[in-house]
Amino acid sequence: MTDNNEKVLIKGNYAIAQAAVNAGCQCYFGYPITPQTEIGEYLSGKMQELGRAYVCAESELGAINMVMGAAATGVKAMTSSSSCAISLMQEALSYASSDELPVVVVNVMRTGPGLGYIYPAQGDYNQAVYGGGNGDYNLIVLAPSTVQECVDLTYRAFYLAQKYRNPVMLLADGLLGQMMEPASFGEYPYPEVDVSSWALTGAKDREARKIYSVATDEKKQIQHICDLHRKFEIIAENETTYEEYETDDADIVLVAFGSMTRNIKAAMKVLRNKGIKAGCFRPVTLNPFPHKQIHNLAKQGKDFVVVEMNMGQMFKDVKYAVEGLSKVSLVNRACGEWLSVEEIVSSVENVLKGGRQLTASL
Amino acid sequence: MQQVFGIPKSMKKNFRYTFCPGCDHGIAIRLVAEVIDELGIRENIISSTSVGCSVFLYDFLDIDCVEAPHGRALASATGVKRARPDKFVFTYSGDGDFASIGIAESLHSALRGEKISAICINNTTYGMTGGQLGPTTLMGQVTTTSPTGRNAEYFGYPIKIAEHIALCDGTAFSARVALDSVPHINEAKKAIKKAFQTQLDGKGFGFVEILSSCPTNWHMTPEEAHERIRNEMIPVFPLGVFKEVN
Amino acid sequence: METNFIFAGFGGQGILLAGTILANAFMIEGKNVTWYPCYGAEMRGGTVNCEIVVSDSEVSSVHKQDTDYAIVLNQQSFDRFVQRVKAGGTIVANSTLVEETRPRNDIKYVFVPMTKLANDLGTSKVTNVVSLGALASVCPIVKKEFLAKGVEKVLGAKKKDLIPLNMKALEASSEGAVV
Repeated sequence: MTDNNEKVLIKGNYAIAQAAVNAGCQCYFGYPITPQTEIGEYLSGKMQELGRAYVCAESELGAINMVMGAAATGVKAMTSSSSCAISLMQEALSYASSDELPVVVVNVMRTGPGLGYIYPAQGDYNQAVYGGGNGDYNLIVLAPSTVQECVDLTYRAFYLAQKYRNPVMLLADGLLGQMMEPASFGEYPYPEVDVSSWALTGAKDREARKIYSVATDEKKQIQHICDLHRKFEIIAENETTYEEYETDDADIVLVAFGSMTRNIKAAMKVLRNKGIKAGCFRPVTLNPFPHKQIHNLAKQGKDFVVVEMNMGQMFKDVKYAVEGLSKVSLVNRACGEWLSVEEIVSSVENVLKGGRQLTASL
Repeated sequence: MQQVFGIPKSMKKNFRYTFCPGCDHGIAIRLVAEVIDELGIRENIISSTSVGCSVFLYDFLDIDCVEAPHGRALASATGVKRARPDKFVFTYSGDGDFASIGIAESLHSALRGEKISAICINNTTYGMTGGQLGPTTLMGQVTTTSPTGRNAEYFGYPIKIAEHIALCDGTAFSARVALDSVPHINEAKKAIKKAFQTQLDGKGFGFVEILSSCPTNWHMTPEEAHERIRNEMIPVFPLGVFKEVN
Repeated sequence: METNFIFAGFGGQGILLAGTILANAFMIEGKNVTWYPCYGAEMRGGTVNCEIVVSDSEVSSVHKQDTDYAIVLNQQSFDRFVQRVKAGGTIVANSTLVEETRPRNDIKYVFVPMTKLANDLGTSKVTNVVSLGALASVCPIVKKEFLAKGVEKVLGAKKKDLIPLNMKALEASSEGAVV
């Protein structure tokens, strides 16, 4: 493996792991689950070699709480898992949000609900974006679409987590985790964040610090929740990222996240060759979500087709952003075989003919 | 005049005592504070706190603390210690946190030989929620969720925590002490100090189970509660050192 | 322009490795490429496969239903993937283990006794690299010079001593062996 600019052919899971190393992740705690086990396997040797911390945790509950403990001391720490086991971490993510701990969690999605299976899917959008834990909180959610982005967004996850003292989830999927593509690592491109004002290091020559979410004072709790939300507004102002392709003259905009982005981009070209003015829009940050940008496209009268590997989770966010200004359709499959370019093209043609949206059939 | 007794230096100034009258948490926390003073480690401590009455530790001790969700104190402490091996890391939990909801985290920390110190207050009930049946509730004990008393058929058996922890190869010290009498309190302090010293010496996991009273939920006077520790708890949970690695 | 390849065979035939070498070859050539393995339920029954998509622009989807080229090293894989080759596409089969049948008329068949050729070199372990050579002789976008570099890259410094044998394997099907 390399940490320079040379391109290497690498699996998404390994790319995430090596990027974490390059980002300065000092602690990794994890428990195996397909299709992301390679992340832990890779880091087990690497972290030992570098004198950093690695623990085969007793469970995902153990893993995420170890991450919280480590993050409380100001070091970069992460865990990775997949869907049903990410569910086990939701309590801790709620705590980490309230405690403002910079934890990084990677979810390489498989299918659910329940145990589901290891087919790739995008069914954890709602859990990631709206939160699976209790209370009013927000994770920053980043969705890579290529192996190169697995590297780039892992770097960004560590930076944003510390910059805003907010948990960050990298929402990948089994397809990305398992595929190999050329990627270059470069150097970790972000500045180191000063954590000295809050990190726990022992109460030497200063007052003792307490990181906690217990809220016995109602007024203080209202203030705390409002502060967290104000913080997320700032995150939304500064960090919302998305990609747009040929939307300027488009009549219809395909919207996808994660690795499905690749397919809508290819479908767009086919549609354009057929004389259909199609464009693409792809949120990179799923939370904060680029509502404003989608709304602006809707204002220009563009219709939308949301393409995703779930039963229409991001679809609702797009509809919410569009506010009824134009037509939003859904092209989806529940899990497994990614919707092919051909399927997307024929579905869009069907939508344009006024047909019903294509839903989830095999 | 010479001062022979005072508030330990590692306790916060002007704290408000929030435990119920007669509760042994106050004694246990004071012992921890005295040991911290004697070892001179206050400025180097990061503690992972638990959920339950034991959570109030951070209102009394003048040390850095990070909260863990219920049962996850030992996982959180593992994270702290692995991130900062130079820091002194300890947990202070109740029996419910340590040995029921958190037993996986607790046992595995011991099995991994994490160089952390864990204190578990065993008062045979869930105190904060008003006295329900917990992992250490004695046979026959009446609680709000065992109204006719604990019986094996319905509720199973209490866990002997210190013995279980002693069985773990990563454990360097495991003891059970009680707070029912002055001699026992003195023994308790010695055990806490040994568990802490175990970490300072880098030997492995150090553990102390402390039999404590909960007069409120036991519906007893403080004196009666201490008699119960002596007459009912100690026969089931014998005092002693179950493992000590030299 | 996007082209895709499926390698399939028994576990142990070096299927994933062959695909990795091809993907590296394309990367070294400066093309966009994606390698995707089968995993989980697909792997039951001891067969294994992987898919490589190469493109002049960005690679779109992997996990495709059909393929331009199928390189199959055993009978089961032939039976399964012959149905998934696009019309006009090509199946490259290991005729040591695959019966020479032509169940469809709209695709090209290339039968190469890969295991035999590998055994002639001293070990059946290089069957996978023989298959790459066979692919190169029928697929214009797969170039032997880059395959050679791909072999070097994948074997790396640790298995440097195996490189000469693998270079021979790459050439084994060139000498009139393609049927």
